[in-house]
Amino acid sequence: MSEKPTIEKYKQNIADGDFKAFKCIECGAVIAPPSGSCYSCGSSSMEWTDVSGKGKLISFTVIHIASEEFQEEAPYYLGIVELEEGTSVTTRLGGYDPEHPEQVVLGTDMKLGYEKGKSGNTYLCFSPI
Amino acid sequence: MPLKNTNIVSAAQTKFGKLDGITLREMFSEAVDSATIGFGIPKKDIQAAFIGTFIPEMLNHQGHTAPLLLDYAGMKGLPATRHEAACASGATALRAGMMAIESGLYDTVLVAGAEKMTSVSTNRATEALAAAADDEFEASVGLTFPGVFAIAAVAHMNKYGTTEEDMGLVAVKAHRNASTNPFAQFQKEISLEKALTPRYIAWPLKLFDCSPISDGAAAIVLTSTEKAKEYTDLPVKIIGSGQASASMNLCDREQLTSFEASVRASRTAYEMAGLTPKDIDFAIVHDCFTIAEIIASEDIGLFKPGEGAKAVREGVTAIDGNLPINPMGGLKAVGHPVGATGVKQVVVSYKELIGEAGPNQVPNHDTAVVHNFGGTGASCVVNILRRADA
Repeated sequence: MSEKPTIEKYKQNIADGDFKAFKCIECGAVIAPPSGSCYSCGSSSMEWTDVSGKGKLISFTVIHIASEEFQEEAPYYLGIVELEEGTSVTTRLGGYDPEHPEQVVLGTDMKLGYEKGKSGNTYLCFSPI
Repeated sequence: MPLKNTNIVSAAQTKFGKLDGITLREMFSEAVDSATIGFGIPKKDIQAAFIGTFIPEMLNHQGHTAPLLLDYAGMKGLPATRHEAACASGATALRAGMMAIESGLYDTVLVAGAEKMTSVSTNRATEALAAAADDEFEASVGLTFPGVFAIAAVAHMNKYGTTEEDMGLVAVKAHRNASTNPFAQFQKEISLEKALTPRYIAWPLKLFDCSPISDGAAAIVLTSTEKAKEYTDLPVKIIGSGQASASMNLCDREQLTSFEASVRASRTAYEMAGLTPKDIDFAIVHDCFTIAEIIASEDIGLFKPGEGAKAVREGVTAIDGNLPINPMGGLKAVGHPVGATGVKQVVVSYKELIGEAGPNQVPNHDTAVVHNFGGTGASCVVNILRRADA
């Protein structure tokens, strides 16, 4: 895991169903989505790291009106999940009924998965444990 | 130290809405004519132009808009620069104009903004707006603009107990104020029941929580204190100004119930003006969504965190309340042609401050705070405006 991480590879990893985060070589902070400099110490030395895939739901929405590319997939859940490692990602959410968002509880424990959309893209998709 | 030399001596806008048959450059030209000739300011007095447009490349297949627009408006040859900061494009153009005056480089400049958005489909316009989010990590997952503010709304509701009804009340107020604003896209009051019609755009945000897709332009003339006397007895001064940025990605924010760029820009502006939120008579805030007005009113220090919704419920922010917000109807009911908005906010502030807002006049109008917000909250500009005689 000594190669310098890139955005292209970060996205390819998601497409391959093998999510990895950036990790600051200086201070060990785990960073996703990628940043050119560490939010904790400012260093730009990064390496890849695996994550546990566990996290908590911070907030969410159900998209009804989407960009042209995604309209066929609507309505769909989007949320922000804070990973156990301390960084947060914007992700699709699975395992919830789009007609009943009032049943979704913030703080719920979530686990990492993937979803292949009608757009042809593969997204991160977290579901309640 | 408060700014001393930036005076607004004219301010005008076109009607906002779906302006069929009128192109970007025609709208721009109309606003500029109103702000120059309409105020007795010869166009030849203008020395440079600072112009806000957000994304004409996607909406109108047109880049490099500043010289194009200025040429059509009869001012070819002047330095003309476009400023883009998503929905805060207008206010960043204003800051550039302000800095040009404060530096002494020019005496008199034009600040204007315009956007033509209704010539494309709603999905295409949604896509264009989504370009102001991080394409690699958020827009590409399917996040939209309403989605950004919906996520903030859910966090705010969860933390503070803000309700869909509270957000609906912001829409009701916006439409009531806009009903007497001839420039508004929607000059019609709506009931709370109508505001709460469950046509979800991005849950919990419904159709009436969202500002519309609009066409429109706005323009102002800025000049030095010395020169201002030639144009008016009552200029409006920009006495404090702040701008800040934040992460594009919502997921990288420390919190979702407040937008840190708004907090930082407003603190800078108050400090420069030597004022506090208690000195503010009325506020113009960036209500691209109803929840955005509630959060902005907290972020710029008008209410404590979590108390913005209560202020709406109690009528504090109504036109006759203690602290009116968006007395002309805001983005929500007047419309949101993105590049024009930040300039239009100054146009309505100017009218209120000099006491010429007609049926939309607020009772106390010496000092205003103006908040213009870009994209996911990654840009924010806050200006403090005051009547020169206050």
